[in-house]
Amino acid sequence: MNAPIIDPLQGDFPEVIEEYLEHGVMKCIAFNRRGTLLAAGCSDGSCVIWDFETRGIAKELRDKDCVAAITSVCWSKYGHRILVSSADKSLTLWDVVKEERIARTTLPQTPLQARLHPGSSTPSICLACPFSSAPMIVDMNTGNTTVLPVSISDTGNGVVPPSRNRFSDGSAPFSPTAACFNKYGDLVYVGNSKGELLIVDHKNVLICGIVPVPGNAVIKNMVFSRNGQYLLTNSNDRTIRIYENLLPLKGGLKFLEESNHAGDEQDGFEKLKAVGSRCLALFREFQDSITKVHWKAPCFSGDGEWVIGGSASKGEHKIYIWDKAGHLVKILEGPKEALIDLAWHPVHPIVVSVSLTGLVYIWAKDYTENWSAFAPDFKELEENEEYVEREDEFDLMPETEKVKESDVDEDEEIDIMGVEKDSAFSDSDMSQGEICFLPADPSPDVPEPQDKFVGSNSKQGDSNQSVSALSEEAGQSGRLTSHISTPLEGNIKSEFS
Amino acid sequence: MANNGNPTQAYRPYSLKKILTNHTRAVSCVKFSKNGKLFASASLDKTLSVWSSETLTKLFSLTGHSDGISDLAWSSDSTYICSASDDRTLRIWDARSAECVKTLKGHSDIVFCVNFNPQSNLIVSGSFDDTVRIWDVKTGKSLHIIRAHAMPVTSVHFNRDGSLIVSGSHDGSCKIWDASTGALLKTLIDDKVPAVSFAKFSPNGKFILVATLDNTLLWNYSTGKFLKIYSGHKNRVYCIASTFSVTSEKYIVSGSEDHCIYLWDLQGKNLVQKLDGHTDTVVSVTCHPTENMIVSAALDNDRSVRVWVQH
Repeated sequence: MNAPIIDPLQGDFPEVIEEYLEHGVMKCIAFNRRGTLLAAGCSDGSCVIWDFETRGIAKELRDKDCVAAITSVCWSKYGHRILVSSADKSLTLWDVVKEERIARTTLPQTPLQARLHPGSSTPSICLACPFSSAPMIVDMNTGNTTVLPVSISDTGNGVVPPSRNRFSDGSAPFSPTAACFNKYGDLVYVGNSKGELLIVDHKNVLICGIVPVPGNAVIKNMVFSRNGQYLLTNSNDRTIRIYENLLPLKGGLKFLEESNHAGDEQDGFEKLKAVGSRCLALFREFQDSITKVHWKAPCFSGDGEWVIGGSASKGEHKIYIWDKAGHLVKILEGPKEALIDLAWHPVHPIVVSVSLTGLVYIWAKDYTENWSAFAPDFKELEENEEYVEREDEFDLMPETEKVKESDVDEDEEIDIMGVEKDSAFSDSDMSQGEICFLPADPSPDVPEPQDKFVGSNSKQGDSNQSVSALSEEAGQSGRLTSHISTPLEGNIKSEFS
Repeated sequence: MANNGNPTQAYRPYSLKKILTNHTRAVSCVKFSKNGKLFASASLDKTLSVWSSETLTKLFSLTGHSDGISDLAWSSDSTYICSASDDRTLRIWDARSAECVKTLKGHSDIVFCVNFNPQSNLIVSGSFDDTVRIWDVKTGKSLHIIRAHAMPVTSVHFNRDGSLIVSGSHDGSCKIWDASTGALLKTLIDDKVPAVSFAKFSPNGKFILVATLDNTLLWNYSTGKFLKIYSGHKNRVYCIASTFSVTSEKYIVSGSEDHCIYLWDLQGKNLVQKLDGHTDTVVSVTCHPTENMIVSAALDNDRSVRVWVQH
């Protein structure tokens, strides 16, 4: 861990575009748990896994049966599996290491988002949010789907709302709903078109609690922070809301059941609301009161200290960064291309955004030279310090030689083997054989006519000489020194659809 | 030769098990693979040899470089070897098929030192052109070219999680770099003299073992202070590699220009054993990851690789 020598004075959020990744037209992205790999779903149905350290392609998951655009991509907890949902209404579950398809299911409607159950290392259960009907739990092994209730009338325990046109499966027409698992997957949180947050026990298909969101606007996205303590909702009233999760992280469902029996409110809607108020508490609201912009793909930073949201306005690529207290700290502005997806790195102050053109931009802190690093005895101060010299500081004292005092105990025991647990990851790591990186096999050189002898007049050596034809095609990344839009125009290929 | 640390355990000395002569010129480097099954030696005769740790016999040679080799490194899964050569290139060899898979070109002078990161998707190299380069293993491209020093870079090493790189140079400085951005994070030593001939991280990444001419020191790099000094050996000219021995008690092992191998107790800093037998400067030593075995290599007058075990 290099924590002791990284400068703590700089804010922990990105500032400029450092680099961009290009491979076909990418549509959606997801980091693995440690942020060492970035999966990207493409418009041609394939899913590309980038090695985030080398910014090169580590693997490509391609299925000949699926050629429609990928709508969402999701990692299993320890990186063994990836779930992709596609515009051809299918869900595909992949084994990452073997690059094999484990299962494939087709749903009645295109799933806009699909998330694997976060509680297991080899999950086969997932939560899918279709285009315009209720979210459902899909078992990838059997293909069974369980539709989740999106309003209390669906489960018959409350007032029946006035009848509207319904689909044959009973769900209301064009009611987009957002849904997500909580941290360990025992509960599903659903946001419906009436602006209500429902806490659902997905095993028993039962609504346990309801939280009405102020404004009652349609909820478009929902996501938990990595530590499971905060829930973010993005509503049609152009407001992002943060709720504090009042349930215990582990065993949230059990706690709910126990408190249900304990409460003495009457049954029905009121009781559900009372339970809901014990599960979530509104913490903050974010909106841009001047431009009143709609938000796209909002999410938390890895440590939950920052919230980011992309502007959904076409033709601009703006990312707003707020701190948890609600202050807007930065607006990142990229090239004039709409933003379609956003992700914050689990550990580093790095943000990755996907533009409509299919490029993935990597935003990082602006690199400033750390001048105190150049000499061993320089030390950075937070502010100017007043120095008062001693009375005899500048006196000449020829007889006493200045000896460098070593105030170090040279007999102290040193531990060269002991390693501390990484504080950023609270769950036990290595026991599950987590996949942190994919083995890198060097792609063989294409034999050149004068292979073995280095030219005698090579000066500052262009490193591209050794790149084989294979790797040129496989994926490119470009480096930018600033985020102005002009340098990119020349690089954008015309192959995107 | 009393052991300061643990009075109840008597020190069990190492003794020579076998002498392996194969190279036709000075041997510059020996390294065990991470799984301990093999070790490789690099030589000024432009070849590398791969040996079995169990039978202590040579398995095969790797040829292809057009000039002498100064350093080699194993990938974490013990499949690939990377060699740094005076012909200004690095080569990645597949240790299973004994073939050269890739050549990394870019340095404008002798490449002197090399190492893989723990994930083995990156290679760091230091050269006489004063730069440190970070290479992508898969594509062979230079991801970062760092103008690291004012004189030849003698040593480069990644820390335990691959986030930092330490580099040492003839210009007397030892610097720590951020592996993902190539940014300078800290300068450990800045005196022009003596040259830093070797630097590597401790197994847990918290300390740095630095060799300057005539002294070997253990530094705590976050406080910037050195903690232990190991001396008594002779090191005025060559870049002699030292290492940690952690399979039984903790020792620091180093070669020396007086043809011996020195072992010091890590905590007590006292000299525990001096292994003699080589007939020239012992320039490289490596310790087996799990067994008490040391392999050493020496320069032109000797040209042998020697295997030492503890009884």
